Amino acid sequence: MKLEQARVVVVGGGPAGLSAALNAALSGASVLLIDSSSRLGGQYWRHLPETWRDQSELHLDLDTGLLLISAVTNHPKIEIWSGAEIWSATHEDGATTLRLITAGVEKIITTKVLILATGAYDRTLPFPGWDIPGVMTPGGAQSLIKGNGIAVGKRVIVAGSGPFLLPVAAGLAQVGCEVIELLEANSPLRWLKSFPTLIQNLSKIGEVTHYIAIFNKFGVRPKFNRAVVAAHANQDGELESVSIAKIDSNFKIKRIKRVKCDVAAIGWGFTADTSLAGALSLKQLVTKDEGVAVLVDENQQSSIPGIFAAGEITGIGGSELSIAEGVIAGIAAAKYIGYKVEISNYHHKTKAKKQKFAKALISSYPVKSGWQSWLTDETIICRCEEVKYSKLKFAVTELGATDSRTAKLLSRCGMGMCQGRICGRFVVDLVANESGISPSDISEKERISVGNRPIITPISIELLANGE
Amino acid sequence: MQVFTLLVKPSASITFTFNDLEVSAIPGQSVGAALLDAGNRVLRVTRFEKKPRAMLCGIGVCFDCLVVIDGAPNQRACITEAKANMIVKTQVGGA
Repeated sequence: MKLEQARVVVVGGGPAGLSAALNAALSGASVLLIDSSSRLGGQYWRHLPETWRDQSELHLDLDTGLLLISAVTNHPKIEIWSGAEIWSATHEDGATTLRLITAGVEKIITTKVLILATGAYDRTLPFPGWDIPGVMTPGGAQSLIKGNGIAVGKRVIVAGSGPFLLPVAAGLAQVGCEVIELLEANSPLRWLKSFPTLIQNLSKIGEVTHYIAIFNKFGVRPKFNRAVVAAHANQDGELESVSIAKIDSNFKIKRIKRVKCDVAAIGWGFTADTSLAGALSLKQLVTKDEGVAVLVDENQQSSIPGIFAAGEITGIGGSELSIAEGVIAGIAAAKYIGYKVEISNYHHKTKAKKQKFAKALISSYPVKSGWQSWLTDETIICRCEEVKYSKLKFAVTELGATDSRTAKLLSRCGMGMCQGRICGRFVVDLVANESGISPSDISEKERISVGNRPIITPISIELLANGE
Repeated sequence: MQVFTLLVKPSASITFTFNDLEVSAIPGQSVGAALLDAGNRVLRVTRFEKKPRAMLCGIGVCFDCLVVIDGAPNQRACITEAKANMIVKTQVGGA
């Protein structure tokens, strides 16, 4: 075991983690940056190896990412562990101990100052057939393009809700997929509602017009108040078509048509990856989109002194907000261990501005409870354990579960390899609905407890045997 | 699977096997991406209902793309980089 006496440990190599690492180092501190991916950049700046060329067109903002990656990689005070999976985190006597596997070897480090920048992943909702090969998340489709240089299919449907659908649909069209439908579940009027905030964030208008130009070029026509409510398999068990519904403002189905496709990329915003934060018992809160975020003060410090959090895990807000938070967290972490640095007011102002934009955006793309009416008794709820909706309902109505934790024990929903990362969030809503609790009455504790898992990433016993 | 109009693919290639058939990959690509590009979308078969599954999240979160690599089960195809001479197999059940 190694005690990191005066070293800032940063977890996560995306926009927040990179800017936190760089700013801690610029403040004078030594930094250890731990990232699970083989290449830095996180999901937002996911990119191809340098042997590939001409990838900048696929990223609106890759230049910033590559600059930051190169600054971090070349900084003499920053050490980087890539491809590292943290599987356990504990906090005792003012120090945090992380256990991780990197390059097949277990490592244990203890640090007095930690910055968590673990990011987010696509928020999913279940529907009949969502386990059929060909149904995936927009983030999954994008990672195949941006990180692997491949197109996911021939006839692709992009659906769900939120601004992230735009770059994904654009990217798919650019690499040669036929984007036959781009479906936003919410009304276009909601887009107008965020217009005043857009005006204050002019760069965002540029982004939107950039995507519209791509859609015009490839003949992609976005449609509103529509959702994919069922997927259908061919005889090989792979995606053959989807049912597209016109839905009302509460997401209830009005009418359905069937459309042939081989890929459906469907997402509903993002879920913060609070696994590490939960393991460390950091105080969390429920956000406006019913997600969970780590509670931080104005300098990104969590409820435990010496543990900072930045980026999507403090509330979904996009890359620019993540960078602003990372900068503040990096400086604050260096200050915490004694470096004489101050956080400039300018950084706080930038953060506040980006925060306002993020809040407006989130309220423009709500997920309405009508999605629950799309399910049938046969619909898979927990993909890992193959738990059907009927079994989850049975746990509540017949076996007496009134909270998602009990329903999990009685149905096995969320007990599989992903530990409820995919189904945990919506199982809370389904259990509440079955128990007659309205979405707004679901307790903070109930929503937050879903993300608390003892083991952060499942790892094999053999790897542990090779520890340092 | 697709003809690229935008990306220029590097020519250097590595090969591995998937269920004993040769698959080529570009260094840096994930096992899952290389397999999908070669037309193999289904990566595992579920334990109870024996249903086919493929990549869902693509970033290592959902554990739906599990394959057996060099005899080790439960490897996430979406985040495991393809390496020359890997022996990759469909994961059936818990494997």
